[in-house]
Amino acid sequence: MNNANAPKIKKDSKKKIRVEFERTPLIDRLRAKFLNMYTLKRVLWYLLRFLLLLGVSYIILFPFFSKISSSFMSESDFVDVTVRLVPKSPTLQTYSAILSDNGYFEAFGNTFLLSIICAVLQTFICCFIGYGFAKFKFKGSGILFLIVIFTMIVPHSTLKLSMFLNFKDFDIFGIFGLLHKFGITDRPGIPLLDTNWPLWIMSATGLAYKNGLFIFLMRQFYRGIPDELEESAYLDGSGVFQTFFRIIIPLSVTMIVTVFMFAFSWQWTDTFYSGLFYTQTGPMLLPRIIKVPETLADLAEASSSTLFAAACKNTCGLLIILPLVIMYLFGQKYIVQGIERSGITG
Amino acid sequence: MNNTANKKVAPIKKKKPASLDSKKARAGWIFVLPFIIGFILVYLPVVIDSITFSFNELTILSQGGYELDFVGLSNYQNALFKDSGFTEALIAGMKQLIIDVPCIVFFSLFIAIILNQKILGRAAFRAIFFIPVILTTGLIGQIDANNAMLEHMQNGSTNTGLEEESSGILNLMDVQALFSNMAVGQGLVKYVVDAVNSIFDIVNRCGVQMLIFLSGLQSISPAIYESCQIDGASGWETFWKVTLPMVSPMILVNTIYTVIDAFTASTNKVMTYINSIYSGSQEGMVISSAMSWMYFLLVIIIIGAVVGIISRFVFYQRRD
Repeated sequence: MNNANAPKIKKDSKKKIRVEFERTPLIDRLRAKFLNMYTLKRVLWYLLRFLLLLGVSYIILFPFFSKISSSFMSESDFVDVTVRLVPKSPTLQTYSAILSDNGYFEAFGNTFLLSIICAVLQTFICCFIGYGFAKFKFKGSGILFLIVIFTMIVPHSTLKLSMFLNFKDFDIFGIFGLLHKFGITDRPGIPLLDTNWPLWIMSATGLAYKNGLFIFLMRQFYRGIPDELEESAYLDGSGVFQTFFRIIIPLSVTMIVTVFMFAFSWQWTDTFYSGLFYTQTGPMLLPRIIKVPETLADLAEASSSTLFAAACKNTCGLLIILPLVIMYLFGQKYIVQGIERSGITG
Repeated sequence: MNNTANKKVAPIKKKKPASLDSKKARAGWIFVLPFIIGFILVYLPVVIDSITFSFNELTILSQGGYELDFVGLSNYQNALFKDSGFTEALIAGMKQLIIDVPCIVFFSLFIAIILNQKILGRAAFRAIFFIPVILTTGLIGQIDANNAMLEHMQNGSTNTGLEEESSGILNLMDVQALFSNMAVGQGLVKYVVDAVNSIFDIVNRCGVQMLIFLSGLQSISPAIYESCQIDGASGWETFWKVTLPMVSPMILVNTIYTVIDAFTASTNKVMTYINSIYSGSQEGMVISSAMSWMYFLLVIIIIGAVVGIISRFVFYQRRD
């Protein structure tokens, strides 16, 4: 008790005492706090995590960096061995040639019209269907959900041929086929190729690309919303649809934005359907602009390496994803937030 | 007063109001109606057509429409026994699947767990990790699949002749040197090398899985972790005893999703083969649909097996 470190208690007055003790020197305290296995392990783990994330981020971002840098390179940079990532003689010729030769703006407009309507339809419909699966018990809902999964599993190229033929002469219940047989119409159906209708019809019925996934995501999200919320709305006299539109939809904005972004960007960069439903004579869509622009074709052929042509195509790719990048910059916080609040459970 | 009240009550008595349950069931039908309509009007005919095509020979008429000739199972026989490429592609596709699926699922789980912890710049990292979902799809994937520019940048060599041998991040020789002292089989070494070399591909394909895992992790109550900490469990133990069981339903969902995704991706070996058959000739069209239906059956069997195996280990938290 009588060592030097023992606290000294002084009585100032009747009600107040003061304790005086020698504090351990700061350096010792810090040492005790930070130089133990526990902290060491934590710091190491933290660093490891950080480095790992940094490395994977590099893997993800590197292609974009290299594409951006190569898009500014002139043809002499591709032959130059010393040029790696930074162009020696930067030029905008690739961009200007693509913009003027490849019909970028026309393709952009057409694809935009197609994609935005598809994405809005898909988002809304999947929201609707997902809510139906999540909150209502009805006979056959289990089987119906299995069918949704089924539409997801069937590879779309399995249905390529029949889908093509089906939309080439689109028919409902064979009505037009009958009319054709009796000679009233000259085609056994409505020709829908080279129009946006096939994709719009499929979007409106939740059958388009990966809509099964969207329905699944929405269903899981709505399952996480407590039933009491709707019950109280019903008690207050709100109908099912009123509840859906006025309470559920505002609650699920983040998930809706996430699904919308998926739907839009997947439709935007889709090659399968645009190759299937649109012919070469049809409306110009984005996949068709990926080529070496005509004014640069001679340069690309004259160039000793194949890199120049590849860089031209990459630049086309960059121009294509430009709107998606902008959308992602604004929308990414919804993806991150959406998952934070959704609490999806299996 | 009495009269009007009676009048109001009478019709309700006559027509029994639907119970809440049946009302809700009806509403449920209305909600899923778009899908039902689409399925019956668009999807089902397409599926049935596709199945009938696979049993027929097809000629497309120039004035619209087509003619079918029933040939029985010959398309299937052609695909299986005459065309050696198909079975080869199937086997190659299966091998690829065995490498890819576990890698993607575990990698996405791992990254999701890390992204769920507090770390400097977490929001930025999350934003970066979801970039591939939005940007590296379809068209861009197609450009990248055959991209001389990227290879050039990654290897820094314009000499395409030498590139072949050193194009991967990891060389088989390096790993063999590393593992030579340990008693692991050749198969495992090759597996690791393949996995590391396709890291770019794997990272690009695990965006959605990461999203599902992250939201699963978010739904674990922090109280559980707190009580673990109080009871003195280490982070390692907490992971095995709490995190893993709690996300196990997500593992099931993600495995199924990854299998489906890998099977239906257009870059898949079987898919590219079927597509090449499809565009090869007119009879190739029907053979390709026969092939894809066999492929689909295989997918179903594999998914069934995966579900059967994994669902034994899935833990469902009882909800009240």
